[in-house]
Parts: sequence; C-alpha cells; structure tokens
Amino acid sequence: MPGDPVELMISANPKITAADVARLRSFYGLDQPIYERYFNWVSDIAKGELGYSRTYRIPVTEMMGPALTSTFVLSTVSLAFSLLVAIPLGILCALKPNSRVDYVVNLFNFAGISVPSFWLGIVLIIIFAVKLQWLPAGGYQTTGVEYETLMEEILDKAAYLILPVISLSIQSIGRFSRFTRSAMLEAMRNDFIRTARAKGLASNIVIWKHGFRNALIPLITVVALSISSIFSGALITETLFAYPGVGRLIYSSIIGNDFNVAMVSFIISVSMVLLMNLVADLLYGVVDPRVSYN
Amino acid sequence: MKSFKILLVATLVLSFTACTKKSKKREEAPAAQTTEAAPAAATTPKLNNSELKIGIGQEFENFNPLIATMNATTIMSKLAMRDLVTIDADGKWVPQLAKSIPSLENGGAKLVTIGGVKKVEAVWEIIEAAVWGDGKPVICDDFAFAIKVASAATVSIGEKEVFTQVEKVTVDPTNPKKCTFTYDKAKWDFYQLGTFHALPKHLEEKIFNMYGAENGGYEKNSLYVKDPYNVGLYNGPYLIQEIQLGDHVTFVPNPKWYGEKPKIQKIIFKLIPNSGTLEANLSSGTIDMISTLGLALDQALAFEKKVKAENLPYTVLFQPSTVYEHIDLNLDNPALKDVRVRKALSYSINRDELTQSLFEGKQSPALHSVTPKDPWYTDDPTKITIYKYSPRDAERLLDEAGWKRGPDGIRTKGGKKLSFTVMTTAGNKTRELVQVYLQNGWKQVGIEVTAKNEPARVFFGETTKKRLFDSMALFAWVSSPENNPKSTFSSTSIPSAKNGYSGQNQMGWKNKAVDKLLMDLDLEFVHEKRVAIMHQILKHYTEDVPVLPLYYRSDVAVIPTQMKGYRLTGHQFPETNEVEKWTLE
Amino acid sequence: MDTLDTHNNKKLAQVSKEPQRLNKAQIAELEKVQSISKIIYNQFKEHKAAVIGAYTILFFVLVALSAPIVEKVMGVNAENQNVFHRYEPPFTTISAGTDTRENEVRKYIEENPESAAIVQAELIKEEFVTVSRPEDALYEWARFEKRKAMAAIRLLSIDQDIKTDLRNVAKKFEIYHLFGTDELGRDVLMRLIYGTQVSMGVGILVALSSALIGLLIGAIAGYYGGFIDTMLMRITDALLSLPTIPVLIVVAAIDLQKVPVLASLLSHGSESILKLIFILCIFSWMPVARLVRGSILTLREREFILASKTLGATDFTIITRHMFPNVIAPLLVSVTLGVGESILFEAALSFLGLGIQPPTPSWGNMLFNAQELIYRAPFLAILPGLLILFVTISFNYVGDGLQDAIDPKTIKR
Repeated sequence: MPGDPVELMISANPKITAADVARLRSFYGLDQPIYERYFNWVSDIAKGELGYSRTYRIPVTEMMGPALTSTFVLSTVSLAFSLLVAIPLGILCALKPNSRVDYVVNLFNFAGISVPSFWLGIVLIIIFAVKLQWLPAGGYQTTGVEYETLMEEILDKAAYLILPVISLSIQSIGRFSRFTRSAMLEAMRNDFIRTARAKGLASNIVIWKHGFRNALIPLITVVALSISSIFSGALITETLFAYPGVGRLIYSSIIGNDFNVAMVSFIISVSMVLLMNLVADLLYGVVDPRVSYN
Repeated sequence: MKSFKILLVATLVLSFTACTKKSKKREEAPAAQTTEAAPAAATTPKLNNSELKIGIGQEFENFNPLIATMNATTIMSKLAMRDLVTIDADGKWVPQLAKSIPSLENGGAKLVTIGGVKKVEAVWEIIEAAVWGDGKPVICDDFAFAIKVASAATVSIGEKEVFTQVEKVTVDPTNPKKCTFTYDKAKWDFYQLGTFHALPKHLEEKIFNMYGAENGGYEKNSLYVKDPYNVGLYNGPYLIQEIQLGDHVTFVPNPKWYGEKPKIQKIIFKLIPNSGTLEANLSSGTIDMISTLGLALDQALAFEKKVKAENLPYTVLFQPSTVYEHIDLNLDNPALKDVRVRKALSYSINRDELTQSLFEGKQSPALHSVTPKDPWYTDDPTKITIYKYSPRDAERLLDEAGWKRGPDGIRTKGGKKLSFTVMTTAGNKTRELVQVYLQNGWKQVGIEVTAKNEPARVFFGETTKKRLFDSMALFAWVSSPENNPKSTFSSTSIPSAKNGYSGQNQMGWKNKAVDKLLMDLDLEFVHEKRVAIMHQILKHYTEDVPVLPLYYRSDVAVIPTQMKGYRLTGHQFPETNEVEKWTLE
Repeated sequence: MDTLDTHNNKKLAQVSKEPQRLNKAQIAELEKVQSISKIIYNQFKEHKAAVIGAYTILFFVLVALSAPIVEKVMGVNAENQNVFHRYEPPFTTISAGTDTRENEVRKYIEENPESAAIVQAELIKEEFVTVSRPEDALYEWARFEKRKAMAAIRLLSIDQDIKTDLRNVAKKFEIYHLFGTDELGRDVLMRLIYGTQVSMGVGILVALSSALIGLLIGAIAGYYGGFIDTMLMRITDALLSLPTIPVLIVVAAIDLQKVPVLASLLSHGSESILKLIFILCIFSWMPVARLVRGSILTLREREFILASKTLGATDFTIITRHMFPNVIAPLLVSVTLGVGESILFEAALSFLGLGIQPPTPSWGNMLFNAQELIYRAPFLAILPGLLILFVTISFNYVGDGLQDAIDPKTIKR
C-alpha cells in the first residue's frame, strides 16, 4: 500500500513539522529498512501477536471477532438462501427440460450470473428502502434499541439482512440452479432410475432418494468452490449496505491506511476460505463413498 | 471414515440450523416489514428530546484526546470533553474550561525576558465547578500531565508543538485550579490553545507510569481504550454509554456536568460510510439527522430541493467554512515561471459561474487564502489584486508572453505546447467536477490542461509533499481564523529532500518581502497592525499568483426542522461544542 | 466451474432432444464431409439465445466503434459539459453551454472571416447587441436562446447563403439528450458509448491476455509434467482459492508507479486502464491454464505427437503447431466466458473507486459517480448497470452456445 500512516497524518494537518515527522516515523518503526520491518511483522504473526490497529489502538483480534461473525452470518444465510431457491428451481427444470419453465428459469439464471451484485443492491435500495420504505437501507440492527426478547432481536436483525442477502445470493442462485439442473438431468438418466420407476416407486422417492442423492455429489463441489466467491461478494455487499463485516473492515482499513488491520484481516479471511475448501474436499469423500482419502 | 461421519453430522446440523433460521426469517419477513414501516412513518413527526440519532459518514477511533486525529472523533468527543478555550460559531475565541482568556490588555499575560529570550507568561484559571465525570475537579495538574504525556517519545501524538510551546506550568500553591503558563516564544497568539487537551491525571497517571516507557504502550493501555465507559475520563456535558467500533457510539448526559443542562437524553452517532444511503437511512428513520461529515454538497443540494418540493420536516444547513480550495502552481515549471501565464490562468477561471452552477451559490468564490469570516479578510481592490473573469484579458496576457494559438486552438511557443496537468485526489466528486470545469475554461483561451488524479494517500503522501506534480495540484487547506500562513507561504517552507519534506510551500514560492512580513506577523501584538501586515502579504500573494484561489467549501448538515440551538461553525471546532443547547422540543 | 456446469447442462438438454427421425435428404446432408468450423457454426446456430447474444455483442461493438458517427448524428460531444444543465432526465432538449456556442461561432469566424465581418456590422447596426468591440458582436449573439438567435438572423439584411450558414450555427445552440445529462451536464448517451469502448475493451483485452498467459502456463505444465507441472499447478490452485474481490482491492491499492520498471510504462493518461488490465490478468488466467493443461496431458500420449517427436520436431513446434490447434475450441469458450467475468470485475473495482479513473468513462465508474445522487437521478445508475447486465449475459450465452457447439457429444451427424 502506498503511503504510510505518518504521511496520512501529514496530509491531514498542515502544521506538522519535520521534527514531528521524523519522531513519528521512528515511533512506527518506519525508518527501518523494509526487509527488517517485514521480518518483524512475520515473526510477530508467527508468535500469534497480530498487532494493534493504528486507528483504534486496540488489538486486531478484538476487531476481527465481531466482523468475522457478521460476515459468517451473512454468508451462511446467503448460502442457505441460494440453495433453498436454487435446488428446487434446478430440479424443476431438470424434470421438465426444454419446457417454457425451463427457458424462463434459464434466462433468470443467466441474468443472475451476469448482474453486477452492487448494482442490484443499489436498485434494491431504491425500490425497497427509498420508494416503498419497507426495509432499512443499511446497517445490521436498529441503533439504540434494547431487545426485550431474543425473538425481537432476531426479527430486527433479519430485516437488515434481507436486502444484502438477496443481492449477495443472486449470483450463486443462478450458478447453483444451472448446476443442479444438469447434475439432476445426468442422474435421472441412470439405469437405476429406470429400474426404480419400473419397480413402481413413487416419483417423489425416485426424484429425491435416487436422483437427487446422486446429483448431490457434484453439487457439493460447486457449492464448496462458491464459498470463496460468496465471501468475495460479501465485501462489496457489506460496503454498500454498511454491514460491519470483514469485507468492510478490509476495505475501510485499506482506505484509511490502517495496514496492520488490512493485512491481518486479509490473511484471516483467506485462511478461512482455504479451510472451507478443505472441509468441502473432505465432505466430498463422505457423500461419495467412491472417493477415499487413505 | 468415522471422522467423516462426524463431519457429516456436524454439517447437517449446521445446514439445518441455517435452514431453520432462514425459513424463520422468511416467515417473519412480512412482520418485520410492517414493524419497520410503522416507525418510519411515525418517527419523523414524533421526535422528542428522549433520543437523537445522528448519521455520520466517517470512521471514528478511540477517544483519547491526545491521540485521536479523525474529524469524526473530534465531532463526537466535544460532547464529552472540553478544552481551555475554543472558537465559537461566530468565529471568536472564547473561554471554555478557563474563566477568561488572559491577554496583555487585561493583565492576565505579560512579556518577560528569561535568559535573554523574550517569552510570554499567562495566568489561566479553570472554572470552579469544572469536574471530571467521577466528581474529581479539573485542575491545572491535568494539563501539566497532558504536556508530560505528549512530550514522551513513546507516544504517537501528531502535532506536538501545541503542548511543547508551554515550557512550564507553575501551579498556584493556594489554588490548584490557577496556574501560570510560560511559553517558549513571545507570540501574540499564545492563548489559542484550542487543541490543548487535558488528561485526567488521577486516572491516567498510573497507566502512563506503568506503560509509558514502552513504545506505544500508553496509548494501547490508556483507559480510553481499555475502559472507555469510565465516567472519570470525561468532563463534558455527555458521557459515553456504548461504543461499537465501526458502527455507533451512544452518549448520555453527564450528571456531574457543571454548565447548562443538556436537553437531549440520549445522542447516538451512527456510522453510515456509504453517503449514497444516508438519505435512505434518514427517510426510514434509522437516523434523525446528518452531521457535517455526511452528505456531499451535490447530495445536499438535491436533498434541499426534495425537502422543499415534498415539504419534508428537515432543514438543510449550509455554512461557509475555512476550507480553502485552490490550485498550487509549481513555479519551477518553465511555462509557469512567467507571471503573465499565471495571471492568465487566473483570469480565465469564471469563479462566479463555477460556484453558481456547480454549487448553486452555496459555496463562495475565493479571492485569496483568507476567508471572509476571518478578521484579517479584505476584498478591497486597492489593497489586493482581484482577478475578475475575463478570457480576453487572459488571451491578451498570453499573446504578450509570446504564446500564439496553433491550428488546433492550443497556444504554442518555440514549438512547445502550452499544456499543463492538473492533479487532484481521485474519487472526490466535487474536485473532479471542478477540474473538468476548469479544463474547459482554459481550453477557451488556448491552454491545454489534462487531468491526472491519484488516490488521496498517494496525492498527499507523495505528489504534493515532494512537489512531484509537474504544474498544478488542486486541493484544500483547512485553516483557523487569524492563522499565520508561514508554513505555506514562507520560502523556508519549500519541501525538499534537505529539510525532510517538511513545510507546505508546495508552489516553491520565494518572495523575500513576504518572508519578512511573515516573521513580523508572529511578533506583532497589536491587532490593527497585524491586519495591515496580512494585507501586504495578500497583495504579494495576489500579485505573484503562486496559487490559483478557487472557492471556500461549505459545511453541510441536515437537521429536523423542529431542532433548535444547532449552529454550524464552519471551522475546526465543531458544532458539538454547543451540544447542551440542542433541543427537539 | 462455469465450464463444467454449462457443459453438462446443455449436453443433457441436447441428448434428451435426440430421439427424432430424420428423412433421407437430411441424412444425405449429414453424410457430406463438413469442416469442423462449419459444424461448430451450424451447431452454434441451434442455440437461439446464444445467437441473440452474439448479435447483441455485435451491436454493442458496432455502436462503440461508430462513436464519432453517433456524435455527429446526435449533434453532441462526449466531453462537452454544460454545468447549468446537470442531471437532466432522458429525452430532453436543452440549450448548449456558452463554451459550446462560442466554439461554434469561432469556427464560423475562422472559416468565413468576410461574411462574419458583415454579420457583425449588421448585428451592431440593427442594435441586436451592444458591444465595445465589433468582433465580439457574434459572440454576444451566441448568447441568445436558439429561437431568438434564429429570429435575429431572419431580420438581418444579409445574403441568403450567410443566413443559411448562420442558421446551421444557431442549430447547435440546442442539444437533444436522448439519455439526459450527467453530473457535469455531459451527454449520458455518448458517455455510455465511450464507456462501452472502455469496459468492453478492458473485458476483451483481459480475457485475451489471460488466455494467452493461461495457454502458455498450461502448455508448459502439461507438456513437461513432473516438477514444473506440480509447481505451476500448485500456484494455479493457490491463486484460484483466493477470494477474488479482496485480493483485487488490495492489489489495486498498490501504486504501480512505485515499481520503478513500470513507472516509465505507465506514465500516461491511460495509466489506470493499463493497471486494471494488468491486475485483472494476474488473477484470471488460472481456469484457462487448467483447461489447457488437461487437454495437453491427453494429447501428449497421442500417436501424432509421438510421430512428430520421432521426426525430430522441437518442443516449441510440437506445442504450437500440433497441440494448440487442438485446444483452440475450448479456449474460445473460456475466453468468451472470461470477457463477461472481466467486465463484472472491472465494474466492481471502478465502483469501489479503485478502477478506471475519471474523466475516462467506464460503466463501473459511471455507476460509482451515480450512486451518490441515486435519488435525484436514478437513471444515471440504472443505465450503466443495464448495459453491464446485457453485455455480460450476452457473452455468457455465447459462451454457452459455443460450448454446446464444440462438444462432440452434442454434434448431430
């Protein structure tokens, strides 16, 4: 990142003198050569000392906790929502391929993949927050409200989640639904489906127990790979909806030159994504007995 | 394999909870919508003194007054912390924690010579009733302690001079609230201690003693960080009840506050970083008003129209501020060395049209660096040179200077095009607008100007600091009234590698007469004479044209129409200095 | 992932359509020898949405390239600003800014100095304008409203030819804005068109260059295998698993001018565009590399490669002459899908203020500029977003169609 915290201070205050600058530079250790600074930083990280935020003067870990939770809630709800919408849509299309429904859903899927989520977010804000005033335009809870019951709290926070979740989910819905459709089509072509039908099993059982169970395997891969992109997307969505998650933390710390926070939150979020990828890989083995990790 | 099964179960449980959460939410969504809509319709007329929610567009940091540098923090901290003196909304220095401002006239201050150096001694007395939130009196020791902390090499304080200029604090042995400050220089503006903050010695001293030796140790362990809800840390009309970093801060009245009783029982500052959604938040009742760090001017203008058209219960306030938008010319540029070219540049700026069309007259054109509210201001054409828009004058000057129009309309001399680059901070909408507007005006007189914008960090951290802009840099200076422009005008303040890039004379303006006048200004204790000196400086400034003045920025805020006692100040001492006067009833 | 997904999806769609009887003529037609490109083309035509998408893209490209012509036809200029008429809604006619008018008049004076002198004298004689210097008379006239200016011409006693010329000048005093004006009073239509050039240009360039990078890396990894393969593929996997947007934001925040080698390359006005292309390329070559590596791995074992090896062909020749032609088809799909994705990323970065810098218009930064005043001028935000949507969706459909077309399983023979 260009500029260091001292430069930022100078730009904010014309009265800072050369002596001040030299003093502050040595204070932040900025007068040391770059490799030394890097080495210090890495050894601190290795020791588990994630350092302090320059802006807030509190340990980065304290900031990361709530931010990670918020992002986790947003991403999980969004993932669950996309799956809940996408899987039925995909199956519906797979059962009636090339029907009118299939074409409409397909168009919707393509639109979902192609729409810029931030733009959708803006449009949603215009419609639901400004024109209709049904939903709040941003934030994560009503400020200054003391919740009497847990229910009240969930309700309140849910209202703040609706728009971000929709704008974040739209792309994954498109993706998952297209994928479910093709995976399901493939699964339904298998011989055992025909056998099951011939046996006279109820079509629901055939679809869910025989068809969907098999479509699930490739679907898991796609979902796992999508975690990274949902996480990515959360950054822009969070910025747009003023939702206090890791994404906004990264963005605002870069803009505010709080480089320690930016680095650490970036590292943590990347490791989180990698961890989820690993979990997905392991899951793959669970769902598909043919895969083994011996 | 067993572990996989456990994993599977875990994920199933997880996804199940996620699903139920989701489905719950989906069921309840309509309910949430109605509850949302009801207050949205109801809050606007039903505002009362029980609560005020203020939207703010900038991040805030911790509230240690010595460490905090962000504007958002300054605005909020004035609710909870007060200083010896401040500037009021009319632009005058007034005492806050001090009983009165010492001066040579009222005998509170005197010039002394100590060890052959001329110095100032001033007697300050803190008002009797002034106490910290825990009831302990605010005493001179609190200020002496602040000086001690600020002077420590282990504390990262930005502008140290405010504290170190006070060489010695001698406390009256009979009255801990009365003391004599000895200043290191005999400067007339010794009483301007607006950013000279007190620290509660009775709470913070132990921490400083414990961690003060460690680099950054004090500021990380200060109670302002570790225990920000400790009432003893604050001496203002409000106390901090809750801080959610990156989201909001809640203030409640301070029962021990000694001044006028605050009317509003709860003030919440809510951070809304995306200024585009501020308005939506306002109309949905998430916030009741928008602070000065919120709407851009364009948005405020649009919102004012909407307020008028739809008869909304809001008032949009515009207050001319001391923020001076200008273009620094790099006087080392060969073409800009010619004063005629610089004058031509100034002549071809239609400042009136610019402020009328882009700002609808809500920001005012600038003649020079001193703002109209400043006692040092002048617009007298006999005292300074005024450049009224006149493209023909500009063309005449350029012709004289030997720049002739080429076939493409751009002037050339000796085969070189009259071409400049105007740089500014990328992403600042207003500046980018102004930039494009100016480019157009200059094109009319045959000057080609291209725009090049950089992120603020690069622009301020490198480009302007090291004078790396080849011809023009568009940005603003924030000044306080009666401020000696030494750091921007004096030839000793030209940043270079030699002086470690200190000083803000980024133009490279060298004028011996001005250098001398600037020195005289500091030492002149008579107001009228100071004004005369400043006018001479401005004469040189407008005659040499090292800078193209553009306009003064205005502060913008949106308040509910029923709100009373709210006054924007337009300078760096925010409106929250008078928060106890605000009322909604 | 998209690749996989579309692949299966369409393949199956086609298969399920399969059982249809063909008549003899059709069979004869199918038995004729067809070139592969012909087959792909025919197959592609079957995919209706893809064809529509292709035409949409073609339309956008044509419009973008014919920007100067559109400017002429609409009588607007992309850069001309009119600060007194900002945020005008679509379909409005407004009077042009003074500078536009004065420019027109200056052009007229420069082209016809004699007749200009006559007109100036007439204008002063008829007392339509009062000026201190006669050469300013026409400029004063240029300040009139269009109708008043026209009326003035009618009343002057000058040649018809000059009158016609003057009328042509006066016509330019009013401008019709199809899509209204933006925050500087610039014509939104023209900015969108120039934005199309930038955004689609960036998208296509990024897709092409990252395809090249991917091709190179994939080919090296696939052909040589072993340690090189392992290393390159681990890098690819690592980059693939990173969350794109945060990484892009961090990288976009780096000032490339601080890197000495790049400083000289990037010192021009197009700096931000080049930088963006560069950054997007770094993070978008991986899927291509994987794809190419996969194809090359299977090709490596084929007889014709062995044959050329025996004949003494160098590695370079084998890779470029014999292997690349076999990966072109899947590469094409990947590039097409990549364009859509790159456009989205460009928009996202510019939307955060870290992408293409003004005044160069791009769809993303037009959105960025519009979001502040979304209530006053929602069309400013909606239009660029719609264009992004249309173009990206078209590229995705075309990619989908191409994928079907090159998939041997779906080819009807």
